[in-house]
Amino acid sequence: MDVSEILASHEARQKLNVVEKEIPLVIDAGYLTVTDLNPVDKESYEEDTEAYLLATARDGVQALFSTLSALPTVPSPYGPLTQLPPPTTELPRAKPLPKPKPPTKWEQFAKAKGIQKKRKDRKVWDEEKQEWVNRWGWGGKNKEGEGAWLSEVKQGAEVDHDPAQELRNSRKARVAKNERQQLQNLARAQGSSSQAPEREERKKDIDRTLATTRISTASMGRFDRQLEGEKKLKGVKRKFEPNERSIEEEKKNSLAIISKLENESKRAKKEKSGGDEVLNVRKAIRSASGGKGSAALTRNSSKPKGKKGKR
Amino acid sequence: MRPLTEEESKLVFAKLANFIGKNLIQLIDRPDEPYCFRLHRDRVYYVSEASMRLAISVARPNLVSLGTCFGKFTKSGKFKLQITALDYLAQYAKYKVWIKPNGEMPFLYGNHVLKAHLGRITEDTPEHQGVVVYSMNDIPLGFGVTARSTVDTRKLDPTAILVFHQADVGEYLRDEETLF
Repeated sequence: MDVSEILASHEARQKLNVVEKEIPLVIDAGYLTVTDLNPVDKESYEEDTEAYLLATARDGVQALFSTLSALPTVPSPYGPLTQLPPPTTELPRAKPLPKPKPPTKWEQFAKAKGIQKKRKDRKVWDEEKQEWVNRWGWGGKNKEGEGAWLSEVKQGAEVDHDPAQELRNSRKARVAKNERQQLQNLARAQGSSSQAPEREERKKDIDRTLATTRISTASMGRFDRQLEGEKKLKGVKRKFEPNERSIEEEKKNSLAIISKLENESKRAKKEKSGGDEVLNVRKAIRSASGGKGSAALTRNSSKPKGKKGKR
Repeated sequence: MRPLTEEESKLVFAKLANFIGKNLIQLIDRPDEPYCFRLHRDRVYYVSEASMRLAISVARPNLVSLGTCFGKFTKSGKFKLQITALDYLAQYAKYKVWIKPNGEMPFLYGNHVLKAHLGRITEDTPEHQGVVVYSMNDIPLGFGVTARSTVDTRKLDPTAILVFHQADVGEYLRDEETLF
């Protein structure tokens, strides 16, 4: 029996499954993408465009499918499942890069002087204790001496001189100074972003006045003579929450609104029952019966009051 | 399609709370699937997050409806509940009114509920309270607002109105073209 023909046809089919190109195809299984970097063969392209495109597409899809079938699969009730590998193609980011922060005053100074930034460790070595202690915070090195049980007092010090308090005050002053500098840096950063704010403000003011005058006629500006170069009046653009916001956040907002509504209705009820009338019936009954309620009041009215019988 | 603003949510929630009270939280904080309210062409839709995300890709003029329509905002900015919200109202209703079989048809034609047609009513229902109207075999027929509290109904004559009609399932036929 001659099986060479069958073998040959099988081999031919096997060959069809293997795609060989001059420049190998770039396959990104994560995105199910195949990129063919080979230049277009002009001759065969012009001869039969459809056939050429079909052949190229077939090669690409074949390559993609052979990569996919090589991936490990997990059996499932819906047939074998394949976990796609993470994509390798880098897509451009959707949002522009964040703008660099304006430098602080210290950063400017350091740059001018060529001072390198040095990272300080959170812990410092304490020679006396022979251990690592926090630079700041709990048991911090910067609080050293504040809790000392004995400290030297200089000659001629004032009577109420408290060395621990002095140290603490100076530390607090340093913190306050740093905070002030931080704020100044923030203010400087804000100021640099909007140039000549006064002039802008004035411009806005004029625009606002103009807009008001334009709609301050009997027809609310509808039948006024148009001046040359006058622009159409623009209203305030309404702004709404985006649709794609996370539902969790939305839920939280809705629940907040509901609790607010509940509180309002409770308050309204209270006012209705107590505030409108001259006499607050509930309160009156409570005080008359000594907090026992109206039922106790009717019971007691038949009997003489035993409360007065004090011994 | 867009989420409701805070004022709009307040109006919608206040209207719903009149019918289902604290159960309103169950509508928003659902254990099965996240749901949300969306406004589209002045109508408020109660829709699952998944279908809302699908509807995002439909252009505004092409989007006819999504999820369950709860009602619509009138031109003067009030919110009106529609009969399509009945499914959820009936599920969570706090106060209920059952009407006798002879009162079903008058109610389904859009008339108020008279005392003569009243079968049962939830005890201590206050005045002007949103109630869901059921037939005697517990099929929700619509909803409305009580005219009197339960205590006051005792001494009324049989032709007095007990529940003001707001919506009934007959609207599915009568207002078919404007309902959704």
